[in-house]
Amino acid sequence: MTHKLHRLLPILVIGSLILAACGGGEIGGDESEEPAASAAGSEAAAPSAAAFPEGDVEIELWTKEGDPQIAYVESLAEAYSAEHPNVTINVVNKDVEVLREDLVNTALAPESAPELVWTVADHVGPFTSADVIQSLDGQVDTAPYEEGALSAVQVDGTTWGIPISNGNQLMLYYNKSLVGDEPPADTDELIATAAENTGDGSYGLVFNETESFWLTPWLAGFDASVFADDGVTPTLDTPEMQAALEFLYGLKYTEEVMPSEADYTIASDLFTTGDAAMIVNGDWELGNYADQMGDDLGVAPLPTVTSTGQDPAPYTAGSFYMVPSAVEGDALTVVLDFISWSTNTENQILMVEELRRLPANIEALEDPIVTDDTLLAGAAEAVQKGIPQPTNVEMRCVFDAMNTGIRDVLGAGNDDFAGVAAAMQEAADNCVATL
Amino acid sequence: MDIDRSVAALSEVLFTLAVFAVGVAILEGVLYLVLVRWLKARLALPILLIAPALLGLLALIVYPLVWELNVSFTNMSLNRLCDPGFPAGLLATCKDQPMFLGLDNYINVFTRPVLQVAGFFQVFWQTIIWTVVNVSFHVGLGLGLALLLNRRMRLKGVYRALIVLPWAIPQIVSLAVWRTELNAEFGMVNQLLALVGIGGPSWMTDPFWNFFAMIMVNVWLGVPFMMVLLLGGLQSIPGDLYEAAEIDGASSRQSFRHITLPLLRPVLVPSVILGTVWTFNNFNVPFVINQLELETSDTLVTGLFRAAFQYNRYGFAGAYAFVVFAVLLVFVIVYVRRSGALRGAHE
Amino acid sequence: MTSTTVPTPVQAAAVRESRLATSKGGRADSPLKRAIIHAALFLAALIAIVPVLRVFSVSLRPNNQLLSRDLNVIPEGATLASYGHVLFETDFPQWMFNSLLITVGTSLVGLIFAATSAYGFSRFKFPGRGVGLTALLATQLIPATMLLVPILILAIQLDLVGTYRGLVIAYSVTSVPFSIWILKGYYDTVPIELEEAARIDGCSQLEAFVRVLLPLSTPALAIVFLFNFLAAWNEFVLARVLIGSQADLFTWPLGILRFQAQFQTQWGDLAAASVLVSIPIVALFLYSSKWLINGVTLGGVKG
Repeated sequence: MTHKLHRLLPILVIGSLILAACGGGEIGGDESEEPAASAAGSEAAAPSAAAFPEGDVEIELWTKEGDPQIAYVESLAEAYSAEHPNVTINVVNKDVEVLREDLVNTALAPESAPELVWTVADHVGPFTSADVIQSLDGQVDTAPYEEGALSAVQVDGTTWGIPISNGNQLMLYYNKSLVGDEPPADTDELIATAAENTGDGSYGLVFNETESFWLTPWLAGFDASVFADDGVTPTLDTPEMQAALEFLYGLKYTEEVMPSEADYTIASDLFTTGDAAMIVNGDWELGNYADQMGDDLGVAPLPTVTSTGQDPAPYTAGSFYMVPSAVEGDALTVVLDFISWSTNTENQILMVEELRRLPANIEALEDPIVTDDTLLAGAAEAVQKGIPQPTNVEMRCVFDAMNTGIRDVLGAGNDDFAGVAAAMQEAADNCVATL
Repeated sequence: MDIDRSVAALSEVLFTLAVFAVGVAILEGVLYLVLVRWLKARLALPILLIAPALLGLLALIVYPLVWELNVSFTNMSLNRLCDPGFPAGLLATCKDQPMFLGLDNYINVFTRPVLQVAGFFQVFWQTIIWTVVNVSFHVGLGLGLALLLNRRMRLKGVYRALIVLPWAIPQIVSLAVWRTELNAEFGMVNQLLALVGIGGPSWMTDPFWNFFAMIMVNVWLGVPFMMVLLLGGLQSIPGDLYEAAEIDGASSRQSFRHITLPLLRPVLVPSVILGTVWTFNNFNVPFVINQLELETSDTLVTGLFRAAFQYNRYGFAGAYAFVVFAVLLVFVIVYVRRSGALRGAHE
Repeated sequence: MTSTTVPTPVQAAAVRESRLATSKGGRADSPLKRAIIHAALFLAALIAIVPVLRVFSVSLRPNNQLLSRDLNVIPEGATLASYGHVLFETDFPQWMFNSLLITVGTSLVGLIFAATSAYGFSRFKFPGRGVGLTALLATQLIPATMLLVPILILAIQLDLVGTYRGLVIAYSVTSVPFSIWILKGYYDTVPIELEEAARIDGCSQLEAFVRVLLPLSTPALAIVFLFNFLAAWNEFVLARVLIGSQADLFTWPLGILRFQAQFQTQWGDLAAASVLVSIPIVALFLYSSKWLINGVTLGGVKG
């Protein structure tokens, strides 16, 4: 429906109690039968060692990839069918929120479930709560994949998905023709550079001021964290959080290097037209910005916070394969094989070429195509500094609560940071209570 | 475009329509036999005429309503995604917890904050203002434009086609464009205002102006529909009535009051009712224009979406939806009775 | 409304013809009045189309930009690339065809249902009529998103998902309540004496309906058809539930979702698609004048 619905909100909703009660998969899966990593184009030996089916198999794959990225998914499907003529893979695009709703609804209407899903990490939460995906422990070899990527879909030791790409991190894009070749090293430099580029309708720094996701990377820079040690209780009313809010407020209202109102598209459009020198945005725009700005584009992790000496830490996540619970037999064999095949080194390198995304496959990450690309290297550096996004139910409440906070501070210019933090805490607590 | 698929689609639609037609014919045949031949009912004809539509509506609307009502008494949600069954999950458990909640969901609708702070009654009040202001403008401007167009004039078709554009263009894009153009600094609205020396407000962050913007955009969207409807109504009023009135010396205001309005009533009344209902239930405009999710700009439907739908709280959402339904039903019944819209041609 | 003589259907038709020639009131408007009217309408049309022109501009912009401080309708570096991509590199023509197919078919069926049912409600008194009419209105009160889950369940049980069967039935039926109310309203303004006269002449009740009432109701029928058309053309919620993942069957609201990703919306493509899907609607309205013309009610004709 609307742009709004596609918030990149981590909607990780898992109650560990629920998992235990549901028995959706074996907790702490048996890893003893892992086969060797599959080579490109070969028929992978799945741990269960089922023979590849002879008869016709139809696979329905729901993917959140839209136009034009979906072309890559379709090419994977075609290549696979070329090697296995008895398999047809029907690739269906579903917008992220639609995909989530539709798969959750398969709990009530199981016949409508597909055989495979390609979606965002956040969905692990709702899907496991609703019991609509199956555990992949012991079904797919997880050795080829980067730890950080895998951890986003692992709950209590159970793996619920296989990573396709890793990243989703917020980082600093800068316009070299305005900023110079080197990015700012810390926030004081950031402010100075931004100030030099502000004036006459142009701004030094822009980002989406309406979503709490753009608040989260700065939290680590101020030692704030959204959850207490138990990982479940929201801790939004802390001096550290107030410090983070104050920092953002300062960028806009004290240093005045930001426009008066900017949502995602406004910020992005200002950057690509050269009216903004720097933007905090996600790795998903890398290909697009590179196409539009060519050599003028620079990429770097967010600069260190001068006052604390800490690095900001953006949340990392990625796209993943997940397998609906009802899939079994021949379809399951094919699906597992396809998962391993399409994320092997060769195909991951292909993905880097087509989509300009960081792969999750370790070998692919070390390939020159990634390491030699300065932009991808910058992105990889940013991922290194990131932390995996929390996957629990309460996280959605936290994001919604922080939305009111960031909008109050940046949108309305409210400088009562203590009050804002308290309000965020109350909202999060109210929300968690109803879960 | 694929010829094979198009032919397949065409044949499927035609086949469905044919099956439909046969089904209706059989239904009518049976009813005819029962009502006319057997029961010799006098009022067979209206029943025959109304039956097919009635059955379809029953399936499509009554079943979901009953389902929703049933679920509204349970705690069905993302964490408890089991089918409660009839009645109201009294006998069902999900993950070892009983599903029946009694009236808890309904109580929560009224007592818990809908979102962060605003309670039900604040959001309800906002919805009422939203609806009344919108419908007033829709009908007022729609009628005005219809009156202007209700004459022989050049470019009539062109004007009508242009004025209908807001209705014709998909909201998915028109609302996104509106939202961007309402940006305080870069949007077209404030740029145009600046040309005439007015400093445009902050449409997104200021509660009053955001509400104003929502109404403005919805008026833009809704007037074309009203205009078309009322224009059709006006055009069914015979011209010679006005001639006769003129000859008798009536002013145009008098002929408006005594000819136009009464004869327009059969079209005006359902338009107002439906306009009110659709505005009340409008989701797209308040959701998109209220980008910062200001609670002062929320209506019942967007509140429902944020509080219940996004979190898959099916039970709570069901209760909430029923409260909204009940409110609208009361309005509809009262309005319909008072406006005499139920009278038929005999009266 | 008073009447002394009751015209026959033939006379009714003749009077209708003559109606087409006159405007409201006999005297033509003064030039000043005409100028003011045109000015007002021009202003209204301007307000209506300016945002639409912005959408058009977005469709011509080269870089998927939604925001632009350039107020020109034709932006700098305008290109038809988005249109090219949408028309030739996606299944857009298929989606348009599917939508057209479903929309025309169901609008006609819905019209037939509504026309007959409205006749029943208008001309007959029977117990439950008031309740029925109110209930029809009540069906419009539910926000569509609430119906999603139960309809999905019902549709799966009846095996209506992934085909057009469910959608055709659903669309034919959902616009009926509103259509019945509008048509009943129009029918009520046509004096029943005309049909009675026809019956005296030997027509059955049904024939009187078809031969006398329907031709006089063409504006109402046209409006109902247009409304049904628009409602079905833009409809998304039911289509999503009932077509599901069958990409071949996608109507355009489902198809263009692929231009929207989480953040990387292809605004150029989306805008181009929006412009293209509005064309049939505008065409329909431009050419509907014929049907929206005064269909005459003869109440109040002086003797």
